[in-house]
Amino acid sequence: MTELATMDFHPQPQGGEPKPWAFPAPERGTLGNGLTVLRCHRPGQQVVAVEVLLDAPLDAEPAGLDGVATIMARAFSEGTDKHSAEDFAAELERAGATLDAHADHPGVRLSLEVPASRLAKGLGLVADALRAPAFADSEVERLVRNRLDEIPHELANPGRRAAKELSKELFPAGSRMSRPRQGTEETVTAIDAAAVRAFYERHVRPATATAVVVGDLTGIDLDALLGDTLGAWTGSAAEPRPVPPVTADDTGRVVVVDRPGAVQTQLLIGRIGPDRHDRVWPAQVLGTYCLGGTLTSRLDRVLREEKGYTYGVRAFGQVLRSAPDGTGAAMLAISGSVDTPNTGPALQDLWTVLRTLAAEGLTDAERDVAVQNLVGVAPLKYETAAAVASTLADQVEQHLPDDYQATLYRQLAATGTVEATAAAVSAFPVDRLVTVLVGDAAQIKGPVEALGIGEVSVVAAE
Amino acid sequence: MNDRAAIEGTYMPMGHTATAQAGSGGLTATEHRLANGLRVVLSEDHLTPVAAVCLWYDVGSRHEVKGRTGLAHLFEHLMFQGSAQVKGNGHFELVQGAGGSLNGTTSFERTNYFETMPAHQLELALWLEADRMGSLLTALDDESMENQRDVVKNERRQRYDNVPYGTAFEKLTALAYPEGHPYHHTPIGSMADLDAATLEDARAFFRTYYAPNNAVLSVVGDIDPEQTLAWIEKYFGSIPGHDGKPAPRDGTLPETIGEQLREVVEEEVPARALMAAYRLPHDGTRACDAADLALTVLGGGESSRLYNRLVRRDRTAVAAGFGLLRLAGAPSLGWLDVKTSGDVEVPVIESAIDEELARFADQGPTAEEMERAQAQLEREWLDRLGTVAGRADELCRYAVLFGDPQLALTAVQRVLEVTAEEVQEVAKARLRPDNRAVLVYEPIAPADPEAEGAEGTEDPESAATVEATDENEEAAK
Repeated sequence: MTELATMDFHPQPQGGEPKPWAFPAPERGTLGNGLTVLRCHRPGQQVVAVEVLLDAPLDAEPAGLDGVATIMARAFSEGTDKHSAEDFAAELERAGATLDAHADHPGVRLSLEVPASRLAKGLGLVADALRAPAFADSEVERLVRNRLDEIPHELANPGRRAAKELSKELFPAGSRMSRPRQGTEETVTAIDAAAVRAFYERHVRPATATAVVVGDLTGIDLDALLGDTLGAWTGSAAEPRPVPPVTADDTGRVVVVDRPGAVQTQLLIGRIGPDRHDRVWPAQVLGTYCLGGTLTSRLDRVLREEKGYTYGVRAFGQVLRSAPDGTGAAMLAISGSVDTPNTGPALQDLWTVLRTLAAEGLTDAERDVAVQNLVGVAPLKYETAAAVASTLADQVEQHLPDDYQATLYRQLAATGTVEATAAAVSAFPVDRLVTVLVGDAAQIKGPVEALGIGEVSVVAAE
Repeated sequence: MNDRAAIEGTYMPMGHTATAQAGSGGLTATEHRLANGLRVVLSEDHLTPVAAVCLWYDVGSRHEVKGRTGLAHLFEHLMFQGSAQVKGNGHFELVQGAGGSLNGTTSFERTNYFETMPAHQLELALWLEADRMGSLLTALDDESMENQRDVVKNERRQRYDNVPYGTAFEKLTALAYPEGHPYHHTPIGSMADLDAATLEDARAFFRTYYAPNNAVLSVVGDIDPEQTLAWIEKYFGSIPGHDGKPAPRDGTLPETIGEQLREVVEEEVPARALMAAYRLPHDGTRACDAADLALTVLGGGESSRLYNRLVRRDRTAVAAGFGLLRLAGAPSLGWLDVKTSGDVEVPVIESAIDEELARFADQGPTAEEMERAQAQLEREWLDRLGTVAGRADELCRYAVLFGDPQLALTAVQRVLEVTAEEVQEVAKARLRPDNRAVLVYEPIAPADPEAEGAEGTEDPESAATVEATDENEEAAK
């Protein structure tokens, strides 16, 4: 079967002394117009990352206008009082910059990346976009049409289709979270420039916004630069918005989104659970990683490396929205795709993995490897300015202190096997999971019903 | 293509000094070669306590033979199934347990394996790579082969067969490179060939291509070069080199296709689409950099000529863009992807594109367009070189494909030196209707049981990988 190697073998080396590394601490300040600014100098990072958070959450969208926050976010790049839409895009690209903007449950976020040598130009354009967006009728109309054209592409993508169905199943019909973040054909059609401007005027102002600037800031007078750009943006003061609580129905059940002829079944199995404000979060991160963080975690060890049913199945926790009082929630889910004939057996194995975890718990060895990975990868993970800026912005968006991530690493290291097991088991209880399967109902419905993991219903793909 | 003359002696420096070159952002690299032919590139950077290890084997899907497409990539998966001193999934377990991250990918021209480690765990990554380079076949068995065959088939389904337009890249490649050409098929391979591959095929593949003198190892980051070289000699030095590798099949083709090739696909897709592949100059040439700039002016970002014309003004497309698939052993591909808006018909889009390309060939880029395109490509390079892993990969790329890793550090400079005249010249010569393969998608109604599964455009630059990169994965957040 095997053959001999002709090399010299040496014992596995032991690591050297770890060098100290800490998640960077930002410096926090406020501009005269009320804009909060977090800055962080990262030597060597020549591409500076700027994140701007706007307190314009999806639940603030007027009834019937789902998607207006998305169209507004996109319209920031479509011209200002100084530049037409085409000129604005050209000027950004001339600065070697990219600008992305998107709307999600907690708010609207603009992400700029620009070489440090052209930061002034990049910040100037973003400031113009926020201070004096054109929102021209013709550009908004084009963005609306473009958005309508995107919807069929999203529905045809198995992963996107599964996510849409899970939100619809989990959250109460009247809640914003039950509906697509970027709106439906009906609601997007109703959006025009007046609606975008009204949303902007009501929800976008420096006093409720935060800018995060990270990168190699050597030789840059950031105060002067900010003063000339984002500092020139004006707006009224505003009361903090109340954050509605998140609720979900996680009664165990299965929804098949029928895609006749599909060669694979897309799985998305989820519910909601604690966010980062909850003391259980570090243990939940640890337990979720042991369950499905990588290809040597419990799920892939069976579903991929033993059975070959999948290219990979992952378990994850993703914050949906947080509130200062801790009433926020995270989506806890397992996702992946398995080949159509093995859909039943794969789900059976998946449930067996969950039941075994609940019955026998994690091992100390699993916990140790998970901690070593989650804590050990931090210096790699945060090598770029964009990665640091994104996490700092998440913390602000989730009403967490600026040293949250640094503290989390210490908490992870102090979390034991028993706590990690308990957190994973309560995150993924076998009878409180909503399962969405995007696949060929004629082939998979019967085998899935036989598993007894909940009532099975079938819906059309479109 | 690469000079494989053995240089006797250990740690033989190749004569390059560690002097920072203009435009390299102060980065330097040194070169070495072990007696067994393993080339080594080292680059120090002490800003963050991390070190990247990257190993490029000079073998890709272009080395595969008829009936065995996908073998290079399937083999890449087998490299993670254990070797003499590493049990089962030990490679993954040990790297991740040391706080590192890792993966492997396969493209037309090479297979790469990489680990990014906390600096104090660098030695472990070197030990692991050496163990599988020297002793994979002592562990490789039927069980791994059967299991990873199934995993790769599911990778193919997930990334190509089960998403709309998923097989477009495969179809266009097959059109752009003629039957029998080494680049006619893509790295993922066909289901039939994946089924047909045997354990003996895998063993023969390893014996043929996995030798120290067919690889380049780069180590970048917070390292002590002397200590690093000593470890590399200790772990890799006794692995025998050999000259069993056959010369790759010739990828030479005429500069232009000479006619417009065309295929219409009727499939269950959400919208009509027009995709095309243009035959462009080989990677590593100044003309290829000029082509990159031409494609950026025409179809990069949201201020490009095609975006402005189709998406902003005519409003006939949802998205329109050009990408460049750089290839060294065959002509590169300029990759056009346009999804139509509403009920717009493909000929409307096509004539607008032809008009824009003809105008561009006739007039060339404006000074401002050149400035924009060069600024965009410069930022992309800063991004690539901004991480130790990106830098390690680029050093390997230039060492394997062009014989000189130093070229990685000056690549951005070369892009900035290209003139508007050169950009116009390449556009005129290459971006013509008689130098492209065209793929048109016409949607059909869903639920026709005879229809193939609907298929997303796979980024042609993304190669097949061993582990899914998961957008949902959030590690220690």
